[in-house]
Amino acid sequence: MKKQSAKPAKAHKKNRNVGIVGIGMTSLSSHKEDQNQPEMIHEAVRAALADAKMTLDDIDCIVHGNMELFEMQYQPDMWHVLGSGAYGKDEYRITTGGTVGATLVCAADNLVASGLYDTVLAIGFEKLQEGNTTGGITNMADPLWFRNIQTGALTGTTAAMMIDEFGAERAKKAAMKYRILMDKHAMLNERAHRRFGLEYDQAEDLMKTSPQLVGELRLIHMCSQSDGACAMIFTHEKKAKKVSKTPVWIRDHITVHREENMSNLYAFEKPEMTHHYAARKLFERNGIKDPVKYFDVFEMYDPSAWWGLDWSREFLQLKGDEHLRMLEDGEFDLDGKLPLNPSGGVIASNPIGATAMLRPAFAALQIRGDAGGCQIKKPVRHALASGFGGTLWTVLMMLEKDLDW
Amino acid sequence: MTTMTCKKEDTTNCFVFEGKMALPNQYFVGRLGSKFIIALRDKKKIMGLKCPKCKKTFVPPREYCHFCQTKIDENWVELGNEGVLVNYAVVRYLGKHLPKKVPYILGQIKLKGADTPLTHIVEGVDIKDVRIGMKLKAVFAPKTTNTLLDLDHFEPV
Amino acid sequence: MAEFYGTTVADIFNTMPKRFKPEEAKDEDIAIGYECKGEGKWKVTIKHGTIKVEEVKGDLKGCATTIHAADAETFIGTTLGKIQAMDALTTGKLRVVGDVKLLMTLLPKIFVQYTAPEKKSSVVAKDIISTITERFRPDKAAGVDMKVGYDLAGEGGGKWTIVIKDGKCAVKEGLAKDLTVKMTMPAEIYVGMMLGTISGESAFTSGQVKLDGDMMAAGATSRFFNKFVDPNAKASEAEELITIKVTNSINCRFATGTAYGMWFKGLKEKKFLANVCPKCGRTQITPREICAFCRVRCNEFVELGPRGTITAADVVYFASPDPLTGAVRETPYAMCWILLDNASPQEAFCFDIKREDLPKMKVGARVRPVWAKETKGTFTDLLYFELDK
Repeated sequence: MKKQSAKPAKAHKKNRNVGIVGIGMTSLSSHKEDQNQPEMIHEAVRAALADAKMTLDDIDCIVHGNMELFEMQYQPDMWHVLGSGAYGKDEYRITTGGTVGATLVCAADNLVASGLYDTVLAIGFEKLQEGNTTGGITNMADPLWFRNIQTGALTGTTAAMMIDEFGAERAKKAAMKYRILMDKHAMLNERAHRRFGLEYDQAEDLMKTSPQLVGELRLIHMCSQSDGACAMIFTHEKKAKKVSKTPVWIRDHITVHREENMSNLYAFEKPEMTHHYAARKLFERNGIKDPVKYFDVFEMYDPSAWWGLDWSREFLQLKGDEHLRMLEDGEFDLDGKLPLNPSGGVIASNPIGATAMLRPAFAALQIRGDAGGCQIKKPVRHALASGFGGTLWTVLMMLEKDLDW
Repeated sequence: MTTMTCKKEDTTNCFVFEGKMALPNQYFVGRLGSKFIIALRDKKKIMGLKCPKCKKTFVPPREYCHFCQTKIDENWVELGNEGVLVNYAVVRYLGKHLPKKVPYILGQIKLKGADTPLTHIVEGVDIKDVRIGMKLKAVFAPKTTNTLLDLDHFEPV
Repeated sequence: MAEFYGTTVADIFNTMPKRFKPEEAKDEDIAIGYECKGEGKWKVTIKHGTIKVEEVKGDLKGCATTIHAADAETFIGTTLGKIQAMDALTTGKLRVVGDVKLLMTLLPKIFVQYTAPEKKSSVVAKDIISTITERFRPDKAAGVDMKVGYDLAGEGGGKWTIVIKDGKCAVKEGLAKDLTVKMTMPAEIYVGMMLGTISGESAFTSGQVKLDGDMMAAGATSRFFNKFVDPNAKASEAEELITIKVTNSINCRFATGTAYGMWFKGLKEKKFLANVCPKCGRTQITPREICAFCRVRCNEFVELGPRGTITAADVVYFASPDPLTGAVRETPYAMCWILLDNASPQEAFCFDIKREDLPKMKVGARVRPVWAKETKGTFTDLLYFELDK
């Protein structure tokens, strides 16, 4: 693996600490015909305000985002004002592909930390059923060349590479174990969209009979298509301590992009993955030597079982088959060394523009002890949450229970 | 291996390609929006939602009162099919997505019983004769499209 | 027979001929097998606008595609849209051997969606006839002078004559002698057609509706009336949720700039031109103005390939429809990453492989490009890569 050379990014200089004081989400489902877009957003906004015991008068600024063109609507922030509550307030629209939910959190954090605004409301949403996901994704590609060969978000190369590295039997079994683990977590999370009740003894059957999409990527491995919205409220340390008994602190976050070209990911010599790079830099500057030991929960953006499993190695800076062994030994389970996606992850619920925000949202609920059925039994003090987008780019953030770093 | 040089200033091989995006999509109007359109379509009536606290009536419908944030989604009131033109613009720009042939008048019509104006098309009056304050009435579309255009346009009373 | 959502599996198959839309299926020639565990097997043969539904004992033979449901609830739920077909497919409760796309493309096109019978049971033909005068639209019937007779047999049926004259409409009991057209059918078919649960076209072609007199007049009558709205279905009326469907079509123009311009110039000459980073020596294909790693401009171009080696391959079994054309590619097809000769080891090139070479294709295989007869400097110049024997 060739490491990307770039100057080491410095830790964020914060003027003041920022806490998450409100979390709200709609139900996550495959169809929301009874609500239009502003109505759906407003449901999440109301829930976040109620959670923070605030009203719209307390909000100084709103950041709003989703996947560009996924509903084939331009500038939805304008006609969403009824739902977002942005009338008479500063509002910014952000759209960075799959990472957008996480980017909204980063932006809200930066806006509050800088001192420009005291309290910021972030809204991520998606109504995949209204648009054409493939259309949206295809139109993201370079129009001169790659748009013509782009066929949406499905790829089987990671599966092929893992089969090559670990052998077909072990790799396929591991991918199915990951998939069923995510479903078991989703079954515990009453907010999750797809909850199938899969059992481990179905693995053998499903990995043979589930319809093949691309290569060894089968329908069972793939993430959900959901409608839903998530809203979060961020405020500075002084106010956070005043309004909330359990504010969750944003310690640091990093955003890593790479050049817009999928081709050079799969040559014989592979570049350092943005996930690996992001984690390496983030841990380096925060003095995290052993992420598996340090973090109590990891909410990862896992678009498929193959990707989720492969990426756990990148994010956690693991080597060889360490990630497979962690999975096989139950270390990613709810009572394992590092519970992975107690929410059920993206495989269970995926309203894309909200998905990367749901990661820190579910992680923060874990820290607060408010995660409901999927609450980790051990105390959760340090959380890691990731976002993924486009032709592999990464947002990674650290959340903390205490202001003690 | 032969190499060739192409500097930024050299535009010999710059091309322009024609492209197209055809984006099929659907929009869920929602429970409130559907009720509004169904009333236009089946009953030829324009419905609004009234805030019991602020006594303001909104059209088209919205879930929450704009002023006091009270949930008003059940408080339907029937508005008159007549109203007053409170503002207008003449659309002259030729766009293939426009619902009518240009030039046409896009007006804001304050209906009897409503506190917000409804934006819609005004016909039956010459562009040079349109005046703020003129009385208009709703004309419903003969064929439904299940959209706001089931109310086809407004015309002078 | 197990019942779910007020429906049995047999209900769904029994109503299939009634829900069939022959016009939409006139170019189809396919046999679809259905197996629902615990309920039985059915074979549906669709041929040039005709349909045959038969229950099968033993094996399903001669079916291009077979659909297998793990239980009656899955089959009924997915048919009624109460269970997401995609979810049932994901968990394996619904299994398709053959063409999975049928479920999303062909079947919704050629069948009226099945609705549970309880919805229509409250309305009888008499109720619908009694609303005719209030649904009449004089503006549409100007100058029309006709008498339409309905002879509806069965419960809630009867004989009526609808008189349209001078922009007025009247309903009379019994059949007049000088009818323009007479329609004879079972009352329940009439109700189904009016509520939209039965395809009118299918009812006519299958002979369930008999016409005596002016056929054209019969076809025209629906124009003179507003759609019947079921007054007993108040609950379902409130449930009606409107979806607005649009296709936004936007014309675009894209400028290549110098670096990409060289790429297209190369294609015209059947060459792969990449530009080289002066600092790290990376060959960029397709060319980019700047090396993103070194942040320097890359002005030097070299020719790569034309032969290369496959570094990774994706075999696509489930093609998404192209949003620009709506067409779905024939599957399986393969997308390959190819390291062209002389390219730096990180920089593969992604393209299609010849369909016939699919079974023999593997990582490490040598390939060569196949060009269009006439190259114009566009995307279509390069057809695919094929194995280099």
